[in-house]
Amino acid sequence: MAEAGNNSGLLAVRLVTPDRVLLDATAAAVELPSMSGYMETLYGAAPLLAELGAGEVRLHGGSAGEQTFFVAWGFVEALPERVTILAETALHPNEIDPAEAQAELKHGEALWNQAGDDQEKYDEANAVTRVAEEKIASAQGKH
Amino acid sequence: MANVLDLRRRIRSVKNTRQITKAMKMVSAAKLRRAQERAMQARPYAQMLTNILESLVRRTDLYNNETGEIMHPLLVEREEKNVLVLVIAGDKGFAGGFNSNIGKAAQRFIDQRRADGQNLDLEPVGKKAIGLYKKRYPAAVYEHKEELYDNDLAKHIEDIRHRVAPIEVAAEHPTLLVKTDFDEVTAVANSIVDRYESAEIDSVYIVYNEFKSVISQRVVVEKLLPIRKLGSHEITVLEEMTEEQREAAGRAARESGVSLSEPEETVAEREAKKFGTADIDYLFDQAPERLFRHLMPRYVTTQIFHALLESIAAEHAARMTATDAATKNAGELIDKLSLTMNRVRQAAITKEIIEIVSGAAAL
Repeated sequence: MAEAGNNSGLLAVRLVTPDRVLLDATAAAVELPSMSGYMETLYGAAPLLAELGAGEVRLHGGSAGEQTFFVAWGFVEALPERVTILAETALHPNEIDPAEAQAELKHGEALWNQAGDDQEKYDEANAVTRVAEEKIASAQGKH
Repeated sequence: MANVLDLRRRIRSVKNTRQITKAMKMVSAAKLRRAQERAMQARPYAQMLTNILESLVRRTDLYNNETGEIMHPLLVEREEKNVLVLVIAGDKGFAGGFNSNIGKAAQRFIDQRRADGQNLDLEPVGKKAIGLYKKRYPAAVYEHKEELYDNDLAKHIEDIRHRVAPIEVAAEHPTLLVKTDFDEVTAVANSIVDRYESAEIDSVYIVYNEFKSVISQRVVVEKLLPIRKLGSHEITVLEEMTEEQREAAGRAARESGVSLSEPEETVAEREAKKFGTADIDYLFDQAPERLFRHLMPRYVTTQIFHALLESIAAEHAARMTATDAATKNAGELIDKLSLTMNRVRQAAITKEIIEIVSGAAAL
């Protein structure tokens, strides 16, 4: 793996999906779509564990260069020298199929209409819709 | 006795068969290597997910202090009245005893549970298992109900289950082994989790062929739900490999260049074990209940995903061993037939010489 030295000022970043380790590189800064909004971690930041929602993980500087991944759900552990991202789905924006994303959006709306008085179903429908919206935005490079 | 021409034809046909089985062996070996690699690559994610859950469990109480309720419905244990069994076999034959071993082992488990008076829902994965259970047990019957309310603006959809037999096929998954896409597994896992949470089923087991290496495989039944201990597999072994099978598998693997030992831990896997376990106070920005709600179903998904990947590797290993044995048998048969053919030819020549000699003597 690309080793970030202790004084390099670079974070070692690893992006793990259910299928494989998608990225193993270094970066100067990482932007993350946490459930409570976007956040950016830099070298030396306080340790943090956070759940990720739908959105884009963006890497700046280091060996990774400028890279963006769309993630639908995940978890991140940020240590002062290392960021490990666990992502259920991680796609390059150009890998997203806009037609499929639109279909997912429609599915989300249909779920919402069928949810009736069940709060859980509403939450699920909202989650599906949100993922689809973020996917579309990511594919169009609107972030 | 067959004549030389017949024997020559038979030898040619056996040679063709040998070529096919040899090619199948090489294909299975290549597929096995890929399947093994895939199973390895899936480990870090599963490990990390387990780590977060363990770390959460350490930091929070599993029971609500005020209500005494357990934190997540998947941890609730009930008396096992309705049991769901996922049976993972293969899509294709030509794999020696792979499919029938799983079928037999699963049947023993099913019969024993039935004898205990439990109802069983079966969910076969792979075409072979589906074919087996569809013939034997009826499919579950659901009544689809749609209800409009709020001045016909909203719709309530519900599928009500009517059990007609103690053992039913609740669902079948014919495509799960084709690509083994994580999203597809997620859909299956979510459906199981929903049924467990709504108490339609009281426990979930999965019968599959566990794969450690080519010479170390066994048919196991693993308890998936309720979750008793995170990160550990609650496994009962149903069938082990015999010494003879181990030897045959070892020989096939050596000839195909497949490693016999368990693959070594990768750097990513070692690092994954450290995920979320640093001895520091992390900042957690969400409530534990919420994190639990999101993590638990995913944990179940990774367990099923893991079983599927192991079973796929085991199937390729079984096919590699079976076709290696077939190749070997074909070789032996060719030797035997060649010997017979030579004898027959020699006999014919001898006979002709005798005829010529006796003809000449009669002159």
